Amino acid sequence: MSTLDRRRFLVNSALGVAGMSLAHVPGAVRAELIGSSAAFTDYKALVCVFLFGGNDSFNMVVPRSLAEYNVYAASRQNLAVARDILLPIEPLTSDGAQYGLHPGMSGMRDLFETGRAAVIANVGPLIQPTTRDQYLNHSVPVPPQLFSHNDQQDQWQTLRGRAGIKTGWAGRIADALAADTGAQQIALNISLNGTTPFQAGARTLPYTIGTTGAPIYFGMTTSPEDRERRAAFETLLGENWSSIFSRAFARVNRRALDTADLVNAALATAPTLATPFPASRLAQQLAMVAKLIAVRDALEMSRQIFFVAAGGFDTHDNQVADQPNLLADVSASVAAFHAATIELGVATQVTTFTQSDFGRTLTSNGDGTDHGWGGHQLVAGDAVRGRDIYGRMPRLEIGGPDDAGAGRIVPTTAVDQFAATLAKWFGVAETQLDLIAPNLPNFAQRDLGFLT
Amino acid sequence: MIRRTARTLRASLLLLGSAALTACGGGGGSASPADNNNPPPPPPSGISKAEAYRFLDQASFGPTEADAQRVIDRGYAAWIDEQIALPASLQVPYMRTLTPPGGALTPNDRLDAWFRNATRGPDQLRQRVAFALSEIMVVSDQSVLVNFPLGLAYYYDLLTQNAFGNFRELMEAVTLNPSMGVYLSMLGNEKPDIARNIRPDENYARELMQLFTIGLVELNSDGTEKLDGQGQPIPTYSQEIIEGFAHVYTGWTFGGSFAFQLPSFDFMRPMQAYPAFHATGLKRVLRGAVIPGGQSPEKDLQDALDNIFSHPNVGPFIAKRLIERLTSSNPSPAYVQRVAARFDNNGSGVRGDLGAVVRAILLDAEARAAPVTGSEGKLKEPLIRLVALWRAFDGKAASGRYLIDQPQVFFGQAPLRSPSVFNFFSPDYQPTGEIADAGLVAPEMGIVTEYSATNITNYLLFSIYLRNQATPGLVADDIYIDIAAEQQLAGTPMAMVDRLDEKFTGGRSSQAVKAQAVTMASRAPLNNPTLRVAEALFLIATSPEYAAMR
Repeated sequence: MSTLDRRRFLVNSALGVAGMSLAHVPGAVRAELIGSSAAFTDYKALVCVFLFGGNDSFNMVVPRSLAEYNVYAASRQNLAVARDILLPIEPLTSDGAQYGLHPGMSGMRDLFETGRAAVIANVGPLIQPTTRDQYLNHSVPVPPQLFSHNDQQDQWQTLRGRAGIKTGWAGRIADALAADTGAQQIALNISLNGTTPFQAGARTLPYTIGTTGAPIYFGMTTSPEDRERRAAFETLLGENWSSIFSRAFARVNRRALDTADLVNAALATAPTLATPFPASRLAQQLAMVAKLIAVRDALEMSRQIFFVAAGGFDTHDNQVADQPNLLADVSASVAAFHAATIELGVATQVTTFTQSDFGRTLTSNGDGTDHGWGGHQLVAGDAVRGRDIYGRMPRLEIGGPDDAGAGRIVPTTAVDQFAATLAKWFGVAETQLDLIAPNLPNFAQRDLGFLT
Repeated sequence: MIRRTARTLRASLLLLGSAALTACGGGGGSASPADNNNPPPPPPSGISKAEAYRFLDQASFGPTEADAQRVIDRGYAAWIDEQIALPASLQVPYMRTLTPPGGALTPNDRLDAWFRNATRGPDQLRQRVAFALSEIMVVSDQSVLVNFPLGLAYYYDLLTQNAFGNFRELMEAVTLNPSMGVYLSMLGNEKPDIARNIRPDENYARELMQLFTIGLVELNSDGTEKLDGQGQPIPTYSQEIIEGFAHVYTGWTFGGSFAFQLPSFDFMRPMQAYPAFHATGLKRVLRGAVIPGGQSPEKDLQDALDNIFSHPNVGPFIAKRLIERLTSSNPSPAYVQRVAARFDNNGSGVRGDLGAVVRAILLDAEARAAPVTGSEGKLKEPLIRLVALWRAFDGKAASGRYLIDQPQVFFGQAPLRSPSVFNFFSPDYQPTGEIADAGLVAPEMGIVTEYSATNITNYLLFSIYLRNQATPGLVADDIYIDIAAEQQLAGTPMAMVDRLDEKFTGGRSSQAVKAQAVTMASRAPLNNPTLRVAEALFLIATSPEYAAMR
């Protein structure tokens, strides 16, 4: 029996109304029954858009003022985005330079300019503040295996630095908020892109769903034969198997069985959204996130973290042809999703943010770029103090003050700071933030200030 | 001047598709069945049927009673030798017999060839090892390569042909294969142009070491990480060394090209070097070695591959990866060390003999001993569960083909269809719960989610209930299993389940599984014997017990 199921069973038994849905129990009674002392009375969601492969974000947010553009163009050579096609943005706080977004990102430009999106400049995995010289002299610890895809994806998702932490920061948020979200009928963490370290908790598990909802087990529905088959199947799931792998496999199937009907019944009540979504895989994942948010009350969700992803950002070759499509997809998908949150009346309660393996080299390998370190990220939502750039924009100069070599830019903001800012807005207590973001104590600014 | 061809090249690849590649003549057929003129059987091996099945879970795409009998007759070692000696069942020759009229071969034709060899190939051990290698030295059609199924089949065939060969030769064949060249962008990679901030592409340089040969950190001979004075792992290479290798891998494009910038797009032969596009400076490589300047691209490549191949990590790294694919997710360091030692020296002084490595993996006491603690073995790969069903019950279509659309949607994996070079799952994946708590890994659990677990079970249900010999209205390409023999026993469910389990698992299912199978079979009407068998087989095939290899 899953934790969820056990809790519901206990609640129902305590009420003496076995079979009665938890949804029919008044909230206050429910909170008391499950021992939650500080259940959330509001709703918030974080949506992580992971750009697999390492987004070349130095072509996503580009200096537009001539002096800075010329530095960029000298570094980028044949991969530089032409200055006259950049989409101008006007941040509220100026660092003296002007900036623009990649021409494929009109949706993001609109969100930015209307104060609904912000740029977080030059974020990357760090253990403590690190300068170029400190990196080159090996005088401060940095995360291991910089420039390796899976290791840096892992750093973004777990913030482990050089520690042996195995949970992800979204998983740790779920752990920290377990008591406050105990009434939720499904897991706080939901992935639309398979398993991810990001959502692995020490005590809490994510739930994985597809873009069309939860698949149901064929031949295990409501006919008498199906009920018998399902009972036999469930009996075998519940055996105490000798193999640890059999037990793990059984638990996943058990959760799938427990949750699919619940989720699909809720999804069946979802309103049809007027907001159109593009056909891309990323957009379709976000469309399902919007649907799940729409039925949050039916599932008694107060806090949710969604994981969606797009691939193909490892632009070692053919970057000039491929990158516009990649960035246009991100822009159009996130913009559609934001519009859906407005339609659902939750735009201030949902914050979407990007993560990616790493930024990429400013230098070219002829027709593409290689693995870098720091890079820009986007945040969107009506809780965002938008139309601004947070953190310091790096100097895009080969051999310049921010260059760790070949145009790999040393991050000036840590992922821990980025994550802690999101976690704090989400409802994690200040005292718990160091557990979510273990390197946070090494940084003076604990809140980047981009959320209200 | 167009400095770099890869961009236009890739655009051309998209347009070209595989049409032009199907024109070449056909090759030979695949392997012949095992010989009929058996020598007199050797003395009994003392191997039980259950043990033979357990061995074949590890060494094939699924046991059959005939294969188990052969293992029992010959013994493990002789069976392995026999398998190694069998000719390789290949994909390209079969695909060339398909020659679609006026059309191009499709990705489904390639999968057809794969399922055909996995299900019916006599060289089961070779097929299984090739599949393992395809999950280590990854190329994928989730890329521009989707347009070149025959080229990908040619890549897979080289894995199959080298499965028991020397690892150094495998490294070279993989490195020079144009599909790999396209996938990890060594093809078209050029010498640096400092004035334009252009330096060689580091993609292949990095992944050949990180994923295919030595890994990120120094290993002890038992596969455990070496630690420095501060207790930290020691990186195997620096960025400077990546750059050294990136310079090595410059100047290569399709074989038979008219010029570097007029490529042949020939996926069916090794890449070829053009010295004018090769970086001629010296290159710093592993363990302080330097490849001198002024050498040819070919000599640089030989030196670089020799340099990597001689790294002491290769043995334990590859030993562990292959153990994880074949027998165990959590091998003891001693097991890894024993296998790595065979990599280092096959007994005749040869380093890198993969046949010896595979033999060592399967014959090791840790692989052969019965499970005790419950953490031995591994989860079966989902795709192998499907093929095992077909092998046990002669799954085939009237047309002879294995046409399956988008198997990865159901199984979370399909041959050469990984989402990235990092394979379908990570060798380090630890599901939250008792596996992570125990410090163990379960790589295959990385693709078993609530979503995929349901889909896998559904596909097996479909393959059993709706695709058997008694299913009405089967069309030529429907793949169906044959459970007619078991149907004869359907009047006595207990006997039927025992027989079914003998055939499918070597009689290894627990009483718990058999009891549910009997209950479900008994509930189906007596006049529907097919349903009786299907009910029982479904429960066995989808049970948590069967999902694991113990």
